[in-house]
Amino acid sequence: MFSGWNWVAYGLYLLLNFCSLEVSGGLVQSCGHIIPESPVLALGSNFTALCILNESCLDFGNIYANQIIWKIKNRVVPKEQYREINRTVSSVTFNDTSSLATPLTCNILADGQIEQNIYGIAVTVGLPPEKPKNLSCIVHQVLKLTYPMTCTWNPGRHTFLDTHFRLKYRWPQENFPDCIPKDVNNSCTIPDVQFFVNLEVWVEAANALGKAESDPLVLDPIEIVKPLPPHNLSVNSGILPTVLKISWENRISGSVMKLKFNIRYRTIGDTNWMQVPPEDTASPRTSFSVQGLRPYTEYVFSIRCMKEDGVGYWSDWSEEKTGITTEDKPSKGPPIWRIIDASRSPAFWTVRLMWKALEPFEANGIILQYEVTVRAKSSLSSPPEKYNVNTTNLILKLPNGTYEVTLIAHNRVGASPPSVLLIPATNSKAPVKNVRTLPKDGKLWVGWTAPNSYVLKYVIEWCLVSNSSDCVIEWQNEPGNVQGTYLKGDIKPFKCYLITVYSLYADGQGSGQSVKAYLQQDRPSKGPTVQTKKVGKAEAVLTWNHLTVDEQNGFIRSYTIFYKTVDGNETAVTVDPSETEYTLSSLTSDTLYTVRMMAYTDEGGRSGPDFTFTTQKFGKGEIEAIVVPVCLAFLLIVLLGVLFCFNKRDLIKKHIWPIVPDPSKSNIAQWSPQVPAKHNFSSKDQMYPEGSFTDVSVVEIEADDKKSFSEQDLKPFDLLKKEKSTSEGHSSGIGGSSCMSSPRQSVSDSDEGETTQNTSSTVQYSTVVLNGYRDQTPVQVFSRSESTQPLLDSEERSEDHSGGGDGTSQRQQYFKQNGGQDETNTDRPCFERTKQITPTNEGDLVGFAQLQISGESSQLLGLGLEKNTQEAALPDVLQASIEGQTVRPGTVEGNPPSADEMPKSYLPQTVRQGGYMPQ
Amino acid sequence: MAAADSPSAALRRRDLCSRGIRLAGKMRSDVVDLLDTYVERQGLDASASVAAVEGVPAAAVERWDEQTGTQRLLENLAAYRAFRVLLSQMLEEHREQLGEADAALGRALASVLLQVSAFAYHLEELLRLESRGPPSEEGAPPPPAPHLGLFERKLRGLGVLRELAQWAVRSARDLRQLTKPSPGSGSAPSWAESP
Repeated sequence: MFSGWNWVAYGLYLLLNFCSLEVSGGLVQSCGHIIPESPVLALGSNFTALCILNESCLDFGNIYANQIIWKIKNRVVPKEQYREINRTVSSVTFNDTSSLATPLTCNILADGQIEQNIYGIAVTVGLPPEKPKNLSCIVHQVLKLTYPMTCTWNPGRHTFLDTHFRLKYRWPQENFPDCIPKDVNNSCTIPDVQFFVNLEVWVEAANALGKAESDPLVLDPIEIVKPLPPHNLSVNSGILPTVLKISWENRISGSVMKLKFNIRYRTIGDTNWMQVPPEDTASPRTSFSVQGLRPYTEYVFSIRCMKEDGVGYWSDWSEEKTGITTEDKPSKGPPIWRIIDASRSPAFWTVRLMWKALEPFEANGIILQYEVTVRAKSSLSSPPEKYNVNTTNLILKLPNGTYEVTLIAHNRVGASPPSVLLIPATNSKAPVKNVRTLPKDGKLWVGWTAPNSYVLKYVIEWCLVSNSSDCVIEWQNEPGNVQGTYLKGDIKPFKCYLITVYSLYADGQGSGQSVKAYLQQDRPSKGPTVQTKKVGKAEAVLTWNHLTVDEQNGFIRSYTIFYKTVDGNETAVTVDPSETEYTLSSLTSDTLYTVRMMAYTDEGGRSGPDFTFTTQKFGKGEIEAIVVPVCLAFLLIVLLGVLFCFNKRDLIKKHIWPIVPDPSKSNIAQWSPQVPAKHNFSSKDQMYPEGSFTDVSVVEIEADDKKSFSEQDLKPFDLLKKEKSTSEGHSSGIGGSSCMSSPRQSVSDSDEGETTQNTSSTVQYSTVVLNGYRDQTPVQVFSRSESTQPLLDSEERSEDHSGGGDGTSQRQQYFKQNGGQDETNTDRPCFERTKQITPTNEGDLVGFAQLQISGESSQLLGLGLEKNTQEAALPDVLQASIEGQTVRPGTVEGNPPSADEMPKSYLPQTVRQGGYMPQ
Repeated sequence: MAAADSPSAALRRRDLCSRGIRLAGKMRSDVVDLLDTYVERQGLDASASVAAVEGVPAAAVERWDEQTGTQRLLENLAAYRAFRVLLSQMLEEHREQLGEADAALGRALASVLLQVSAFAYHLEELLRLESRGPPSEEGAPPPPAPHLGLFERKLRGLGVLRELAQWAVRSARDLRQLTKPSPGSGSAPSWAESP
């Protein structure tokens, strides 16, 4: 806005500029000037300025007033505002100074066109000061004898000018120096004032446009004092436990001012102040006894004061001071409750009595001990038992029954009224109904419906249900006339509380009614982990475990199962929260499914982990339905095949098993052992000229007809033996033996003329015909085999040994084709039987030899003995046989001797010295 | 008397008396405090005996209860006018002697001086209400400042303050006496009988 100094500086600048022009133009003095010089104008007023030309300029430059041009800054003032007063004076008039600006210059058109500045002035526009209003003063006591007075006022509008304020004051007979504000324009402080004399105070405001004074304020400064608050407070407890005496010192003399007081107090920890009735402290004093306080309670006091008649200001509140009232006996008995554990013994209760410590305002002091009296109501004769305890619980073991428990708290002053708890044998009275909860204002409200009968009081038990901790019971008492209360405890959100309400009567108690509640619910902290119990073709049985209480965070309202295939839409199924198993049906077979499960509380749900499973390709019983018929069909086909083969066995036999030529019609029948020369390949060819056997032919002749053996029959054997002994070199050409090629096997009973072919032994080295054919003298026939396979003589020997005791079985093993008996043994390898060999004595060997010949022990026994004598002539052969057969059978089997190494014996059987070899 | 008879005049007088009493009380309190400070700062003995101050009527007077109201007021006014002069001299001497070195004592003296002036104003106003008007100060010229030594000036100052303290007590009693309704004369005491 306007600044006087700026205007002045700017005016000086113009003036200097103008003078310089004059000098440069050859002028030595100004050609004119403006009246008034640098005026200060009231905003909105009219203003007229005159520009007066010097006479010298008239003569010098023919300059006249009608050539004058007025300018505000660089803006030409309209000519309508000009007035030529005479030829040297021109005036300009402004109806409103608000249109003015600095500088206002007087200019002239020299030589008709050249505009030249003659003079300029700075114009200051502002407002005169307003009358200061709302003057008020206050005397602050800062020291005991120092009373500065501070007055404030409203300075009014801004004047745009430098405006000075002065606080003026005076006594009627004496003036005082003005109080000049520092840095402000609306307040000033007089350092010290005198009381009891009226002081006239007013404010004067002045600037270049005028001066204004406020209305005077006449007052005695004593009436506007704000005294210092009392100090040095002290609080003393009196005789009574409800009284505290507070004392203080005033810092203003009673001769100056009589005071009244306000006393406020509160208990420690409380923020609300209570106040002593003002009328009780309306007179000057330095102490006061505050009554109606609580015993053994610490109070905080503060005090303030003001002039007794209420004229003036209250002091600030004093510093706070605390004091404690003395103790008094407890005002009430502690609330008591019990927990009964009847699980350990049916006849005794473990009663845990517990009570709450009295609140400080009830205890009225320090509780030193509790006195518990337990009286059995059932046996009035027994005296009550008393317990003095320092804690707030007592565990008793009592027989079942009705008891009355009395509890008294003691402090230093006295005892409390008794608290009585009746413990009935049974909670047979009417219980409360419809227990419900409601979270409200961050607390948990419990309500119930009262029973019809009069209830003495209610007990509300509650505990936090958790997997990780036991249910620690908290409780509270409520009077019998209420039907709801807030739980007084640290109830945490998202935790499950089990709340039980008991109704207590004068003569009994109702059973507790429980409800579970949450102060605030949340989503479960995790979802259920679902898995399959059983997976079928189109269904799957899902199973899961309930969330633990700590995981639930609220009441589980439902489960939802979501399942989907890899590329399919997700399907949701809602399940009752009580379930732990669910069967998904209508699934696609052999398909991978992903399933997850969400548990929902009132606040939302949370999903458990995904679980995948694949449905089966076949349903239950489908495989059985396929396999069983196939098997049955197969069996049926096999059976039919067998039957067919059986029926067509002749035909099959004809094609597969050609008819074996009758040995009796064979040429071998005319073969004589005395003609060993004929026993060669050529003779063989002659015997089978027809080539019925391509490679090997076997003819086994049953030698089972034991009865047919006779001395005559055996003669050829003897001859054979002799021949054998003599024709050792001839028989040496037969390479080894096999199980089936033993002489005994080769023996066939030719009485019936039946021939039996052994299909299991396809390699035959020789064919021996023992019996005579059709009552012919049997001849020993050797048919030399072309095979070079070694003979398993050890097998023969083992068979001989094992069959030493039982000729029949022995025969059945080797003459398996005889009568079709014991076919199962036919396939048994010889070496197995060889392993069964046990050392035997010579007697056994003798018998064995006999069996080899006849198979009839009764007859052969004598025969054997006879043979021993007969065979004494064969020691060399036997010796060779013995040596060869003493080798362990296994070894022999594993390393069968070659044809050259083998003894030149037809059957290299094991025969000890003195034994018998049938050939 | 006409002014004294009007209710407003009566209220004014009562108010002046009441505040004068309290002012006298405060003045006494302040003077007592100032005496202690003065004795300490001037290095004097509090028990020192000081002769009566010249020019100041003695506070103690015989047959005090027989005095009329106007008489009391006039005596008070004379005394306080004298105190005003003496205190002004003391303040001037104090400033000359110590300058601003002991500003607290100077402020205390100035404060007492103001109270003396204020009390004198109260007395003058009461006398005006009595339709007598206060006597002019020319009639009671201040005693000329004697040329005393420094110690004597200190002792004289001590005597002034002691006398002022006594006068403060007496003035309070005088004003209290004035506020009591005189028997048989209504609210206006028989101040006219005063000389």
